Amino acid sequence: MAIPSPLLINEDAMRRNRAVRRLGQVGLWLNPLFAYFFLWAPILVLVLFSFNESRSVASFTGFTLKWYTNILNNVMGAERAFSTEIMLNAFRNSLFVGTIATIIATVLGTLIALAMARGRFPGKSLIDSLLFLPVVIPEITQAISLAIFFKVAFDWIATISGERLFPGFHTIIIAHVTFNISFVAIVVRARLADMNPQLEEAAGDLGANPWRAFWRVTFPLILPGVISGALLAFTLSLDDFVITFFTSGVGTSTLPVFVYGLLKLTVTPEVNAISTIMMVLSTLLIGISLAMQGRNASRG
Amino acid sequence: MPTYDVELIDIVKDFESGGSRVRAVDKVSVKIADGEFFALLGPSGCGKTTTLRLIAGFEQPTAGQVLIRGIAMEGIPAYHRPVNTVFQDYALFPHMTVEQNIMFGLQMEGVGKKEARKRAQEALDMVRLPDIGARKPQQLSGGQQQRVALARALVKRPAVLLLDEPLGALDLKLRVNMQYELKALQRDVGITFIYVTHDQEEAITMADRIAVMKDGEMLQVGAPREIYEHPGTRFVADFIGETNFIPADLIERAPDGSGAVRLSDETVIKAQLSKTLESSSGPVTMAIRPERVGIAKVGDSIDSADSDQTVLDARLVDSQYIGTDTRYTARIADDINLIVRVQNTSEREFSHFTIGQPVKVYWRQSSTTVLDR
Repeated sequence: MAIPSPLLINEDAMRRNRAVRRLGQVGLWLNPLFAYFFLWAPILVLVLFSFNESRSVASFTGFTLKWYTNILNNVMGAERAFSTEIMLNAFRNSLFVGTIATIIATVLGTLIALAMARGRFPGKSLIDSLLFLPVVIPEITQAISLAIFFKVAFDWIATISGERLFPGFHTIIIAHVTFNISFVAIVVRARLADMNPQLEEAAGDLGANPWRAFWRVTFPLILPGVISGALLAFTLSLDDFVITFFTSGVGTSTLPVFVYGLLKLTVTPEVNAISTIMMVLSTLLIGISLAMQGRNASRG
Repeated sequence: MPTYDVELIDIVKDFESGGSRVRAVDKVSVKIADGEFFALLGPSGCGKTTTLRLIAGFEQPTAGQVLIRGIAMEGIPAYHRPVNTVFQDYALFPHMTVEQNIMFGLQMEGVGKKEARKRAQEALDMVRLPDIGARKPQQLSGGQQQRVALARALVKRPAVLLLDEPLGALDLKLRVNMQYELKALQRDVGITFIYVTHDQEEAITMADRIAVMKDGEMLQVGAPREIYEHPGTRFVADFIGETNFIPADLIERAPDGSGAVRLSDETVIKAQLSKTLESSSGPVTMAIRPERVGIAKVGDSIDSADSDQTVLDARLVDSQYIGTDTRYTARIADDINLIVRVQNTSEREFSHFTIGQPVKVYWRQSSTTVLDR
């Protein structure tokens, strides 16, 4: 009688094991494929059709750059919805709002980050966690709350001074500053956390008072974080639609609001082109921002 | 009246942490002389670094006074104190070159750029790194960074240089080299060094005086030899070097500091009492360094002309060859093992012992220290 070999049983189990593992490997390979498909397919379609000869998105009839040139040459769209002048105006508005909001948010956000990282005061941990709120609460909630806030504030000002204020650039800028502060503060704070706090002590030890220690040591070291935060803020400001939509007034449409206005009529190919340009611009800015964040704080 | 560079008078430092108070430094008083190399030695959390930070001005004492060159430092911020620090991880400014790092402190004093550059180069020459001024700190090795940190602090010509475990991050060989260099440098510049370390060997080889700290208290302050040969407490004896602790009863205490103790097997031996011994009788600990004990075969003649010599019968239970030395374990009573450390000199080459063999161990009375248990 043959003695059953334990090796044989093991081999069976091993074969099963191998099969399962191979299946798992196929799954691991398919996973990102699906994920990236869902992530990128709509964007690819948009980019593709921004080069489509035909006005319709039903079929791709040929390559053209005319929608891009249309944006720059003042050509009226077929539905007379698109006008380069209005678009350029909206773009200027976007840049204006973005620049002002970024400057204010960067200064305030950096100051908050410094206070959080170095300060000692009661309720610090509470303020610290509240800082993340604008990042996580739905944009629409923030938009509506800001719209109501401005209305209440304007009513209040009207009863006191008798002067009626209306939404405009100031309200959009304030709204953008509100959500951008958090992003700047978070990025700068990460940079500060990365920085050896002994460097500030060393500066003091070598005779620098806190003011000079800040400008000679702390600030140069957190500068990449500050720039990175500012670029992030500028991008978010450029891209924002919901909050801007709820806080803008007459004639202060930013580019996203303008694009939305176009869409209400029909999807013109120019919209595809503008969206592609905005996407490239945003990706570029975020890329620079990430690259700045990635720079090791200890290497300056 | 001697001049002191640093005086600490009843320094207390409490830290608040999570609603409870932790005492980091507890009534520390010490006077450090001009030009002294003073080591603060102790395990981590003993308060040595906090003491250093109190002198530097990074922390304010809860109670007590810090005097530097006779001036009370209360309310004087770190950037106005005539002291400079070499930080544990060097804390070189990563966005500046080595030269800019060294010039930083001078520029804060208002020294002109030309003069500052000249003095920076002198400082680099002093630490024997004349050619690295243009490099960034992260391009340097650990040892080089350490020297740059030293140059950056010394270029300010401080009254006192504070060093917080400056060699801690270096590997052993480099560390030993730097110990000699630091000591030589200190002798040359004549600046008072206050040196924090947890490495007893480092403290013993470099310092003029050592303060052993534990739980915020300074247990003993003295020259390395005194600390090593005559530890005041069991902790000090244990922390510095290897020591045999033999439980005993104190049966005689003479005014000249000598006495007699009885071991658990009723053997009575003469011993030297610690200056700070509190017990006048009852249970104590007798400490003796392993290298102070001799070992011989039964029948070998021991120089017994010396009336100070204590000779005990023992049995060898272990023998360990450790290169320069041999480390024997001899049982002198049922529950008492004695570590004996003998150097492997050429004369001793043939004196082999076998484990289990009866031996004699001997030492001089002056080599013992009787401590409170």
